[in-house]
Amino acid sequence: MRKVRPLFELRAPIADSDAVTIEYGGQTLHALAGEPLSSALLRAGILATTRSPKYRRPRGPYCLRGECGSCQVRIDGEPNIRACTTPVRDGLKVEAQNQWGPAGLDPTPIVDSLFRDGIDHHHLVVRPRLANAVMQRVARTMTGFGVLPDAASTAPATSHEHRPQVLIVGSGSAGRAAACALERAGIEALTIDRLDRRTLETSPGALPAGLLSGVGVFAAYPQEGLWAAAAAPLSTAAGDLALHIIRPQHVILAVGGREPMLPIANNDLPGVVSARGLVHLLRRGEVRAAAPVIVIGDGDHAEALAQELGAQRFASDEVRRITGGDTVDGVELADRRVPCRLVALAPTPAPVHELAAQAGGRLRFDGHGFAVVTDDVGRVESSEGGAREAAPWTLWACGDVRGWRGPAASAADGETTAAAIGATIRAELERAPSAGAER
Amino acid sequence: MTDRVFLCRCEDVTLSEIDHAIDEDLTSVEEIKRYTGLGTGPCQGRECIGPLACLLVRRGLADPSTIQPFTARPPAEPVTFGALAGTQPPFFADSSADWTVHRDPDTAAEEPDP
Repeated sequence: MRKVRPLFELRAPIADSDAVTIEYGGQTLHALAGEPLSSALLRAGILATTRSPKYRRPRGPYCLRGECGSCQVRIDGEPNIRACTTPVRDGLKVEAQNQWGPAGLDPTPIVDSLFRDGIDHHHLVVRPRLANAVMQRVARTMTGFGVLPDAASTAPATSHEHRPQVLIVGSGSAGRAAACALERAGIEALTIDRLDRRTLETSPGALPAGLLSGVGVFAAYPQEGLWAAAAAPLSTAAGDLALHIIRPQHVILAVGGREPMLPIANNDLPGVVSARGLVHLLRRGEVRAAAPVIVIGDGDHAEALAQELGAQRFASDEVRRITGGDTVDGVELADRRVPCRLVALAPTPAPVHELAAQAGGRLRFDGHGFAVVTDDVGRVESSEGGAREAAPWTLWACGDVRGWRGPAASAADGETTAAAIGATIRAELERAPSAGAER
Repeated sequence: MTDRVFLCRCEDVTLSEIDHAIDEDLTSVEEIKRYTGLGTGPCQGRECIGPLACLLVRRGLADPSTIQPFTARPPAEPVTFGALAGTQPPFFADSSADWTVHRDPDTAAEEPDP
């Protein structure tokens, strides 16, 4: 095997109490208990763990924070598990997925070279019908060698019902500022964030008291009057399938922003990661980057990330293409090529609009994605035909979900919204003192 | 590897495929989603909806004041069928109804299967 300098290395030797071993495709890897599985794989030089559905290109960890889905692996016989949100435990058996045949011998990547001008499945081999039937079968097989789980899950399913005064979705700058302000005002709030506690602790600001970490809010059901959340599969040691049903009086969406794809040639190569995801991974303090990083992005946001990463930055229109074979080996500019093994993309984050849309909130295009429309204090406006009338809660939003504003402004936003909710709750109590007394 | 600019990595939808769809006169978010499969993979459009909207607005194919994303259906985060199936009372039971009635064999026999 070729010996190359690793991309990432541990900051300190693993203490005996934290040393675990995991298996990846027959290889034994030494890892740190609790580190994200994607971190352990990247340290071992495993950048690609799956292949893309159409062109069969190698893919691996990209966003590093549970957004994208390209780091999916098979763990203990269970397919489609995100490596970046799975904490390492001793004995995990990890396998690549969407590969065909023995490792390294998958012949399907030839599709990428054969169809240089792209594949239009609406016009490719449409006639004669027999050829089309064969083509469909080949395409469907290639699109995903989806292999079912080894066995039906025997993990215990637990469900938990919560009836907080306020549900806060997301504990970034805005969410934790709102949670702390509500706590000071004596208002009972439940904060839910899909990231694990260890990752959340690396961001500035105290974590809320009532925090459910490692749990993702996956839906708003205004008609049923509930919000639903679940722990990521295999994210807990017990492996239990925990479902949380929340029936709040007020909901604060503080879900922040996420990275839209920067349209640059070969933006999918293994070794291309999200700059913000990389910063969050490194802030955990377990690993450091051992190879030079190049940041691609524009404006203050990208510059701040490049500085934290100690990386050279290029504006997105300076870069002609990212180069490499199975992994990144450089960035090509108009006049030269800069070698590197890690490229961190730093687009301006786009608001995470999905839950607001499900809850009937109004959205506007903000130049990067779709921001939630609110009044000055964060009360979410209804979309036309939205189902908000039926909802038994008041919907609020603060921070980057209203359009990118950065951590400091998001925290201020969170406090404003918390104050407005405090005022609303006090006004309700004054209007209905007897109901207040019953609480 | 062939140079490709991806908008949607989940479903391998490239910029040239979007161009191709636009050449076919499919110029709205919904039409492009249906023609190319953009936004229908594991991330459910988190990565590609913004860049697609930017592209349509930049080319004058969409009005920035009215453009909307495709419908965001649950689940927005991964959840297993096991977790949904394991809840008591059933996940979508009317909270005001007495759900135990559905477990009564006499009553259940009279009601059609859900």
